[in-house]
Order: sequence, then structure tokens, then C-alpha cells
Amino acid sequence: MLRRRTRIEIPEFYVGSVLAVTVSDPQAPGKTSRFVGICILREGHGLRATMTLRNAIDQQGVEICYPLYNPTLQKIEVLRLEKRLDEDLRYLRDCPLEYSTFAFDMEPEHAADSGEVPVNPVKVPLRPRPWTWRWERAGMKGLIVPELREDFYERAKKVSEPWHKYDLMREYRRSVPVEDQREIYAEVHEHVQSLETDQRRVRRRRVFVAPKKTS
Amino acid sequence: MTSQLGRLIPQLRIPVQPKYRPLRNVEGSYGRLKNLRSTVTALVRDERVEMQYIRLDEARGYAERLIHDAILHGDRDTHTMDMANFWLTEKQLIHKLFKVLAPRYAEHRSSFTSLYKLPPAYRENDKGAPRGVLELKGNPFPPLRDGSTDRKHLLHNVLLDEARRQYRHKKYQQLAAEARAALADSSAEPPRRPSGD
Repeated sequence: MLRRRTRIEIPEFYVGSVLAVTVSDPQAPGKTSRFVGICILREGHGLRATMTLRNAIDQQGVEICYPLYNPTLQKIEVLRLEKRLDEDLRYLRDCPLEYSTFAFDMEPEHAADSGEVPVNPVKVPLRPRPWTWRWERAGMKGLIVPELREDFYERAKKVSEPWHKYDLMREYRRSVPVEDQREIYAEVHEHVQSLETDQRRVRRRRVFVAPKKTS
Repeated sequence: MTSQLGRLIPQLRIPVQPKYRPLRNVEGSYGRLKNLRSTVTALVRDERVEMQYIRLDEARGYAERLIHDAILHGDRDTHTMDMANFWLTEKQLIHKLFKVLAPRYAEHRSSFTSLYKLPPAYRENDKGAPRGVLELKGNPFPPLRDGSTDRKHLLHNVLLDEARRQYRHKKYQQLAAEARAALADSSAEPPRRPSGD
């Protein structure tokens, strides 16, 4: 994992950032293909870590899931580094396509001077039902769910399991204990140091955004 | 399922099964939690409980986590107080958790509870589900195990010791007889005169 990271720079990004990924493709002209999209999901740990990028091409939503340690990945660029109000943007599938459209020739945007990553507080409206998920139950902060019939909420209440937050062993089995975390971080400490300086150097690099003609 | 790394949870000092035991209940998962809640409440109140072993094994994790959170965060933390409020149905026991148990186990490096398996009961109308005892360490009752490692009184050791003693006695007698015989031989021989005179 660390050896792969010496060959390719995997930058800092979050769900809600816009990325451009270049993958080697033997069938494509120029042997590479580039995809631009918003990161809607990050799953997995270690070598199985993946990210899903979403874009709308010719009025058709397209999602591609990239394993981060895929050896055919050549380059990962962060065009816009930001966070959203949720860790999971799969609701964009049921939202108007304009919220998932990003130009392929989008220029990388100049990162903020402060060390903190900006949070985009945008709230996206949903298309009329039917949806791919029961968004009235999901509790997504970046989503505007329209008012539904009473029985939707009654059924949601019946089906919800609010006692799960008291289930301490369930929480424990889904977590990594502090002692294990410390052990893991100690192992990669020296490598994390050099990676952090590289990332800081990239972020500090000022990207010149060419001025566009207005008239 | 991505692991939730938000809240830092300390490692449990007891063996944890990789999967939870469903503990079939009419009310489903909520009924299971209510069942275990009564076990944890009884443990904190009585400091020693005897029940079905699997139920105690499941409840042990919850009790350990509750006590550890109380030690680390104290009663000022809203999340810990919320958990204690759910898991301890008698409200005086919340005071006991923070005022008695947390100071008692503050310097502990090992688990706060001990779980023992009981021998089979062989009672009539007993389905034979294994039973166990779960107790908080430092409880005021006499210990379940006296902690001594003396095995001299066990029958097989008594018999072996006696056998060893008898063998040794026989061996000594043989050696003594050989020594006496050797001595008698040497005394029966005439003393050797030097060759010159």
C-alpha cells in the first residue's frame, strides 16, 4: 500500500469533492481515458478502499467506482476540494441532473489559504417520487425532502430501531479500538509525515486561473 | 460497512465473540437489549449473578463498556450519562456506578468482571443449559475460587506420593544391605602385609 503511494499521489479529498481521474485504457485513443465527477461515496479500508465518482454525460447519469490502489490509475486530481453536509451523496441519483453535472474541461480551483477544508452547505431538492431509496427515512442534511402522506412517517416510525444507539457491543464490533488505532498509526508514522508535507506543498501551490472573456 | 471512527472506544479486556448472540426474543432486538439490561442492572446491584452462561457472556461486554466509559468520561459527559440511564433501570445504581465502581476500577489494568462456568446441575426438569456466575471484581462476598494451587490432597497425588515413599524405602533398604555385605567382606579378608619386612 505504501509502495503504491510512492508511485502515485493520492491527494486529500472528501465526499463532495470534484475529482478528475486518468486511467490507462488499451482501447482508448492515446491509451488513457479521463473521467471527471463528484465523489459521492468512499468505502472500504486499506487496499480495498474505493471511491465513486458521478457525472451526467448527455443527460445520462454515470457513476464509476474506482479502487484507490488500482494499478491502472495514473493520476488523481482534485479540481475542487470541499465537503458537503453528508458523508454519502447517493441521493443525487434522485435529484435533477444539473446537481450532478461537471464539465470535463473544468479547471482546478485554487485551494483555500486556511488549513480547513470548506463545507458546502448546499441543500439539493429531490425530483418527484418514485425514488431509489426512502429518503424521508434517511435523515440526510444536504437534501430537501418534500412533505409526504402521514402513513409514510407512521411506517418509518414503526420500522425504525432507535435502541441501536444504546447497543454498546454493536458499536464496539463496528469500530477500531483506540489501542489498535495507535498501533496502526505508529506503523505508518514516518510515511505519513512525508505524505503530509507533500500534500501541504501541493495545496500551497497557487494555481493560476486564467481570466475568461465576459463580452 | 465502513467502521465508525468518530468516537474513540477503548479496547475491551475480555474475549469478545466476533458475532453477537441473537438471544431469541418475542420483541426482537429490543427485547434482547431489555433482557441484557436486567442482567447488567442485577450485576451492578448485587455484584454477583448466576444465570445462563451465554446470557452472562453477552451482558459482560455491555457491563465492561459501561464501567470503562464511566471511568474515562465521568458523570459530566452527557453521552455516558445517557448510556447509564438506559442500562441501569434503578436510578440509585447510576450513583453507585460513578461514585463506587469507577473509583474502584480506576487503576485496574485488566477486566472489571470475572465469568465462571458452573458444573452441570443434573436437576429434574432442567434442560441442561450451561449456567455460569458473573461477578464484579472486588466484591464483598467470599471468593468463589480460593486461589490456592495446592494439589497435594488430591487422591491420585496422595497415592503417587505413597508409592514414591515406599519405593524409596525399598531402595534404601537394598542399598543398606549391599553396603553391609561389602563391609562384612572387607572385614573377613586378612589384612594385607607389606611384601618386604
